[in-house]
Amino acid sequence: MRFERWLYSIPLRLRSLFRREAVERELDDELQFHLEQKTQQYLAAGLSAEETRRKALRDIEGLELRKEECRDARGVSRLEDFVRDLRFAVRTLRKAPGFTLTAVVTLALGIGANAAIFSVVNAVLLRSLPFPNSEQLFTLSSNQSLPDLEDIQKRTNSLSAIGGITVQALALTGEGEPVQISAGQCNADLFSALGFQTAIGRTFTAAEDSYGGPALVVLTNGFWIRFFGADSAIVGKSIRLSGNSYTIIGVLPREFWLPGRPVDVLVSLRVTNPLAAKFRGVHFLKTYFRAKTGIPLAQARVEMQDVDQWLASQYPEEDRDFHRRLLPLRDAIVGDVRPELLVLFAAVGLVLLIACVNFASLQLARSATRQREIAIRAALGAPSGRLIRQMLTESVLLSLLGGAAGLVLAGLGVRLLMELKPAGLPRIANTSIDASVLGFTFAVSLLTGIVFGLVPALSTTFFGLNAKLKEDTRTTAGGSTGYRLRKLLAVSEIALALVLLISAGLMIRSFTLLHRVDPGFRTDNLLTMRVELPEARYREQAKQRQFHREFLEGLNAIPGVQAALVSELPMSGDYITHNFVIEGRPPLAAGSEPEVQTRTVEGDYFSVMGIPLLAGRDFGSEDRTGSLHVVVVNRAFVAQYFPGQDLVGARVQWARSKPPDWMTIVGVVGDIKHFGPGKPEEPAIYDLYSQTAQQWKRWMYPTIRGAASPGILLGQVKQRLWAIDNQLPVTQVFTMNEVVAASLDHQRFNLTLLGIFAGVALALAVVGIYGVMSYAITQRTSEIGIRVALGAQQRDVLWLILGQGLRLALVGGSLGIAASFALTRYMSHLLYGISPRDPQTFFAIPFVLLAVALLACYVPARRAARVDPIVALRYE
Amino acid sequence: MSKPSDLVQGTLDLLLLKILTLEPLHGFAISVRLKQVSGDILQVSDGSLYPALHKLEQEGWIKSEWKPSENNRRAKFYSLTRLGRRHLEREADNWNRLSAAISHVIKLEEA
Repeated sequence: MRFERWLYSIPLRLRSLFRREAVERELDDELQFHLEQKTQQYLAAGLSAEETRRKALRDIEGLELRKEECRDARGVSRLEDFVRDLRFAVRTLRKAPGFTLTAVVTLALGIGANAAIFSVVNAVLLRSLPFPNSEQLFTLSSNQSLPDLEDIQKRTNSLSAIGGITVQALALTGEGEPVQISAGQCNADLFSALGFQTAIGRTFTAAEDSYGGPALVVLTNGFWIRFFGADSAIVGKSIRLSGNSYTIIGVLPREFWLPGRPVDVLVSLRVTNPLAAKFRGVHFLKTYFRAKTGIPLAQARVEMQDVDQWLASQYPEEDRDFHRRLLPLRDAIVGDVRPELLVLFAAVGLVLLIACVNFASLQLARSATRQREIAIRAALGAPSGRLIRQMLTESVLLSLLGGAAGLVLAGLGVRLLMELKPAGLPRIANTSIDASVLGFTFAVSLLTGIVFGLVPALSTTFFGLNAKLKEDTRTTAGGSTGYRLRKLLAVSEIALALVLLISAGLMIRSFTLLHRVDPGFRTDNLLTMRVELPEARYREQAKQRQFHREFLEGLNAIPGVQAALVSELPMSGDYITHNFVIEGRPPLAAGSEPEVQTRTVEGDYFSVMGIPLLAGRDFGSEDRTGSLHVVVVNRAFVAQYFPGQDLVGARVQWARSKPPDWMTIVGVVGDIKHFGPGKPEEPAIYDLYSQTAQQWKRWMYPTIRGAASPGILLGQVKQRLWAIDNQLPVTQVFTMNEVVAASLDHQRFNLTLLGIFAGVALALAVVGIYGVMSYAITQRTSEIGIRVALGAQQRDVLWLILGQGLRLALVGGSLGIAASFALTRYMSHLLYGISPRDPQTFFAIPFVLLAVALLACYVPARRAARVDPIVALRYE
Repeated sequence: MSKPSDLVQGTLDLLLLKILTLEPLHGFAISVRLKQVSGDILQVSDGSLYPALHKLEQEGWIKSEWKPSENNRRAKFYSLTRLGRRHLEREADNWNRLSAAISHVIKLEEA
């Protein structure tokens, strides 16, 4: 029905629009025909010739009016009006290039910054995960072991697939330097849980995913392209991973993606790592649960809760206190970053608001100069609705132009954001200007144009007209509504800009505090890297220990070099915790023993790192394999478990060690900022590679202190390493200073953005103040002229104007301080070492703003001070 | 001179559509025909006729065509569309119900 109507109406409408002349002519012909017929009728009735024509015309009650009604009936005039308004707007804007450019640039800054941040928010928070039916995907807040997953599978009905994966480094050997790649060790169900098929070949089956099954590998698309040049005949070939040969059975599609570290290849956990796979107590698998279609989260959660209780009662030592609770996968991935992205989004929103206020203010200034034109048009009978519509057209045209320019800026902005590489933001790599960003930008631009065009339009037509006619005889200071409104806008701009400046100030202060934090060790001249021993050739601890010994000997033989090994490098993000018990303390229920950070070292680690020894002794040459098992603890450990007590000689052991393996504490070292400059250290136990029973700790970070340049040093290190084993890749090569800097990447990202926003806001506010003051001076020119004529000095005039600007700045500033006081607490999670109401920042920043505001007033004020009274008095 | 307000709102559309059910007509002929058919009682002013026709066309209820008139001049002839015929049926039903109800009420008062 509706469609059929369009069948008639749309061609008609298009014809009325695009073949306007033909349609007009037809309308004319039609009415002429009518008049002729009517005339003939009257003639036949015996009226005189001229009278018939007049009578026919009178019958129709105004030919032109009727034509207009016919046009209205066709729904043309509205569109025509719009086209006319648009043409008029283009013409007037072209005639005022300065105004147009300022308005467009202002809006482009505001809209562009918003579009850029929105594209990040879109990529990270809004866009759905790249999995088919991703709303059915869930995860658990904690990692699980494979036996746990098997039990969950057996004891639930609401889940269709349960995938588990852990990412481990494997060495890819073959030609040239050995390379470390990251291998996802997973179960066969992972592929169906994530909902991915292979692009080429197949994935491994449940039957192949078994202990002692065939060594098969599935490649990710990126790895396939990088290492095999996208060879389409790859299936069936084999690669050597950490000493074992694997047959390639498939390649995943480009869309395949896993949260966290990127993965190069996927192998079966049961095949590759049977020992760890069987171990219920090692919870190292990230999990992906796919719910059956139509199963609500609540139902799956109830089932999971039952399994959780069952596991806890069945395996108290391994599975107690896990609180398995299903989380929607998306929440689990982006949950942490949501608040901080929202702070950025709010900040950039403020920038837009300032830009819009500026825009409104500019338009007000312009409409003031156009008031005569508008008043005349109104007096000639233009309805105020039409006048408003026309002004809105102009404003929307400007805002859309601003939006288009903003989009270009946003494109550059997104590239800049990617350069800043905020490592902590998941999914940010997907950031791009897509349809929703375009839609957002368009909506924002349109809204800006309408809302902030309405203010000046209304103020001109409703408040302005009568006042204008009365006012025009004499220009007085601060008289017009427009000026009062503009002052209000300038004040709000200053207030908004101050909020952003204070936020950025807080970030800068907390960042400098972070930089000044003593990490607890010396970061200079320290080169670090990661080496991992493949299980195939280094399963026995004797072999590992021999490697450690030879490697350290080789490193320390390099002239001017001191080197040691550590299993978890400070600030690298790596950490391992173990449950432990203290000898002589009341026994605790299995599974509820306290957790402690565990770090394994070899060589003179503490002296290489410059970590001070606080009590007892350092590890020494007397601590060897087979001698008394000793450990060193940190200050945080003492504070938590032995406050005010002498603990040297006390013994600890990992919970449930079989056979018992008591370790004697021989020394205490200082705390380091292991988790980054902003985070507190946790209690930690250091033990030795040569004494630990954990044969699975096959990775290490050599920490190498030497004055030589990192490049030269690295060459020497590789030479020594490959003299021992030329199949070992070296990865994550960084100086310690780079590691520290990387740990602050996140803060740097937030700081840079807030800094840019504050800068833009300040610039916009300055433009706003400058504009208002310049306008105020043109309004007061004759007054100033009188003052000068009556003997006022240049200085007096200067102060008069500056005082006016100062008042605006003070009012805006106070409002801004109040607003900041209320708002900055929402960014407390981004700050370090200061309160969100840091008095220094709140005191210092407003002065910066005040100074800049005065500067913005000074330029027009000087101009005013130089006014020639004769010219000024003539100025009307 | 009868004003458009003399006709109940919307009935002009109904009348115009009804007139056009018989044959395609141009505007002038429509006004003449309406006067004839209603026995000189109903009359649409020349002023409101054409806007109404244009509106009906825009709604898709009638369509127009330029054809030679009876005296061999080019004139714009309007004819009913399928959509218009359906609309007319519905509106005529409504009108019948409404007028029947109204005359019923009026008779009731007389009794």
